[in-house]
Amino acid sequence: MTLTRRQFIKSSLAVAPAAALMPSVFTRAVAAAINQQASVGNRTLVIVQMAGGNDGLNTIVPANDDHYYEVRPSVNVLPGDVLAIDREVGFNPALTAFKELFDEGVLAAVEGVGYPGPSYSHFQSMDIWQTADPQKGGGFEGWAGRYLEGLPAGADDAVQSLALGRSLPRALFTHKATVPMVNTVAAYQLQRAPRAVADQDERTQALLRLYGTGAATRSFGEHLDATLRAADSSSRAVQGAHGRYASTVEYPDTKLGKSMKVVAEAVTGDLGLSVAHVSIGGFDTHATQLPVHGDLLKDTADAMLAFYRDMQAHGRDQDVVLMTWSEFGRRVTENGSGGTDHGSAGPMFVLGTPVAGGLYGERPSLTDLVKNNFKYTTDFRQVYATMVEGWLGAPAEAVLGGQFEQIPLLRREAVAS
Amino acid sequence: MSHLLRRASFGASKDELARFRTMGLQGTIDDLVDFDGVDDGELEARLASQETNIERQAHLQLWWLQRMAYSKRPLQEKMTLFWHGILTSSFNKTGAIPAMFEQNELFRRMGMGRYDEMLKAISRDAAMLIYLDSRTNRKAAPNENYSRELMELFTLGVGQYTEDDVREAARSFTGWQIKGKTEFLFNERQHDFGDKTFLDQTGTWDGDDVVDIIMQQPAAHEYIVRRLWEFFAYADPEPTVVARLVKVFSGSQTEIRPVMRAMFESDEFYSPRAFQGLIKGPAELVASTVRSLSIDTTFVSLRRGVEAMGQELLDPPDVSGWDGGVTWINSSTLLERVNLANAVSNGRSQNLTFHPGSLAGETAADSEALVDIYVDLLLGGEVADVTRTALVEHAEYLRKPTVSSGKAVPEDERQRSVVYLILASPDYQLA
Repeated sequence: MTLTRRQFIKSSLAVAPAAALMPSVFTRAVAAAINQQASVGNRTLVIVQMAGGNDGLNTIVPANDDHYYEVRPSVNVLPGDVLAIDREVGFNPALTAFKELFDEGVLAAVEGVGYPGPSYSHFQSMDIWQTADPQKGGGFEGWAGRYLEGLPAGADDAVQSLALGRSLPRALFTHKATVPMVNTVAAYQLQRAPRAVADQDERTQALLRLYGTGAATRSFGEHLDATLRAADSSSRAVQGAHGRYASTVEYPDTKLGKSMKVVAEAVTGDLGLSVAHVSIGGFDTHATQLPVHGDLLKDTADAMLAFYRDMQAHGRDQDVVLMTWSEFGRRVTENGSGGTDHGSAGPMFVLGTPVAGGLYGERPSLTDLVKNNFKYTTDFRQVYATMVEGWLGAPAEAVLGGQFEQIPLLRREAVAS
Repeated sequence: MSHLLRRASFGASKDELARFRTMGLQGTIDDLVDFDGVDDGELEARLASQETNIERQAHLQLWWLQRMAYSKRPLQEKMTLFWHGILTSSFNKTGAIPAMFEQNELFRRMGMGRYDEMLKAISRDAAMLIYLDSRTNRKAAPNENYSRELMELFTLGVGQYTEDDVREAARSFTGWQIKGKTEFLFNERQHDFGDKTFLDQTGTWDGDDVVDIIMQQPAAHEYIVRRLWEFFAYADPEPTVVARLVKVFSGSQTEIRPVMRAMFESDEFYSPRAFQGLIKGPAELVASTVRSLSIDTTFVSLRRGVEAMGQELLDPPDVSGWDGGVTWINSSTLLERVNLANAVSNGRSQNLTFHPGSLAGETAADSEALVDIYVDLLLGGEVADVTRTALVEHAEYLRKPTVSSGKAVPEDERQRSVVYLILASPDYQLA
């Protein structure tokens, strides 16, 4: 019997203290490889989660395929509305930002991405994507977490990883490092006492002492100690970067737009950021999909465009690559609610100056379906392998627990060697 | 005693703690579990004097947080919080209608009753019908959203059913709609009256039949008992514990109250694994802080803190509710917890006033005695030695003249500072 996600998170953390003392084989292999790769020191990967299961079929729309309108008599995009990519497909009209980036040659789309034996459960499939383990058990660590474990320690105040939102995505779970999690920069600081009750420093020191010695005596002690210390140092680093940051680029006034801006501050603030994770939720469009989905796609693409332009304005666009993911695509056939149920494969997008823009992978067939679901054509771990090894310069096999053929999404000169 | 009150209540005020200690553990369990006869008139009068728009999320959050902090039936509110994390729905999807209020009241009313009855009620509940799209589940092309989560998250757990079961259950719930804002409507024209084969049983099943068939599965009994244990006691319970409680649950026609009683009376509930073996959720943390320190507030200045710590009540992150446990603590939410300690301990505003003197006396106390008073109230007297030492050192430091002013800080400030450190301590984050 496989563990549920909840059981897994809990039972894994119960043993975390012991495991934390034992770097995995992966960790050592990753560290060894990264150490030989000084050239990739400045590189950042920004992971963009489209949570809930994005409808890939209405993202890159096969508007010239009659089968599309047969399976999607109402939840569809009309041929005249798509933003043409080629003769066969076009972007959803909400994706003007992606169209612009695609035309500039810096946006790649990999079609039909999935994995064997797809799970139609949000949570199981998210776990699979985040641990990079389709065997539905996975380890505790996320795939990006395994990469981070192997990363050589940065400066004391380095923020090597950063997640935006309320809850740490499992992709970044690691035994070794505490991944700073920021919701808003304004709130991300230790507040002082309103009146000067003795000196603030003594008060802060007393607090830090409470979080420095209790690990052996309490459950969750190590986690609490490590988290407070990471919060203390990373909040000062993030505030510092925020203070130094200036930009003429205007971000969309959305949650994702705000998140992307914090990532931009960390990159331009030279915090040593290697992996960042941002997310946008709401893609679980079982009903009245069309307007909702359009807004979500627009929010996603607009925020990514603003971030990219900001990186260009700061002369840092050659240092950053963005990659989207979603736990599954949606059912090929629509339901009676004007929506779509859970499905399988969908597209992933990769954006950046180092990216060789274009369409990749094989478009899944609209007629050769499994219970009205797509057969995937590209394993998501191939895209991960490309990011881990090709972009970040770490051994993908160690991070992903297997060999996966990379996809030539990066310009040749950008590939880590 | 404090352990039980952290789990089955939202902590306890100084007076409550004294009363429960007089009653003893068994008396306290009885008082908490058999709450139907407990008069909550004071709370109801307090809430009746406020203007609460039940169609507004923010209003209901204040209303509910006050219930958690001031109810004399705290377990009823704890159960409501538990069910809100399981059979969850969100204002984000219902919009400004009374549906989330009605769902919350349903949990309060049925939360200790039979689970099969609760499932049949929640399947007709407007917020749920909207949240998981049942209301647009039509015969011609069924919507699987509710059917899948009913099995995956409410009863069986992933792996205990097939994709065909999802489709067949979805057919069974077709035509379950809403009339007006929140009234349940069975629309015969949209219901599929045909045969369905669900979990190996064939018949012209409707939604109630699906619930009954699910509740015939031992996996469903084990699932809900586990979820209860993990919320109230500790993660990953021993199979023997689960088996014992499943027996209670199955033997009482899936009634929850006997399970809760058995849990609170079990040795494992008071074992080292259980003690401080959970992390307080944000609503729990804030409500119990207010209750323990006898603070009088409408939560107007605390409500956003609960959200910032990762738990926006009535708007869960997704259909699985909140992951809870260790995921409550990340660098952002822990800063929020520490900052909340700062705000509460320094509360001097009209809406949030904390009076240290009323709990520990106005005169400068011996540092050890002062720390012990608050450690007893806020941590049940049980604290790691290193924590207690650090607290006493800080209290002692504040008794001496400061370098800058040459004077010791006022006693009121000193006590606030000690309370700040306790509320901000790692120990206090644990339940």
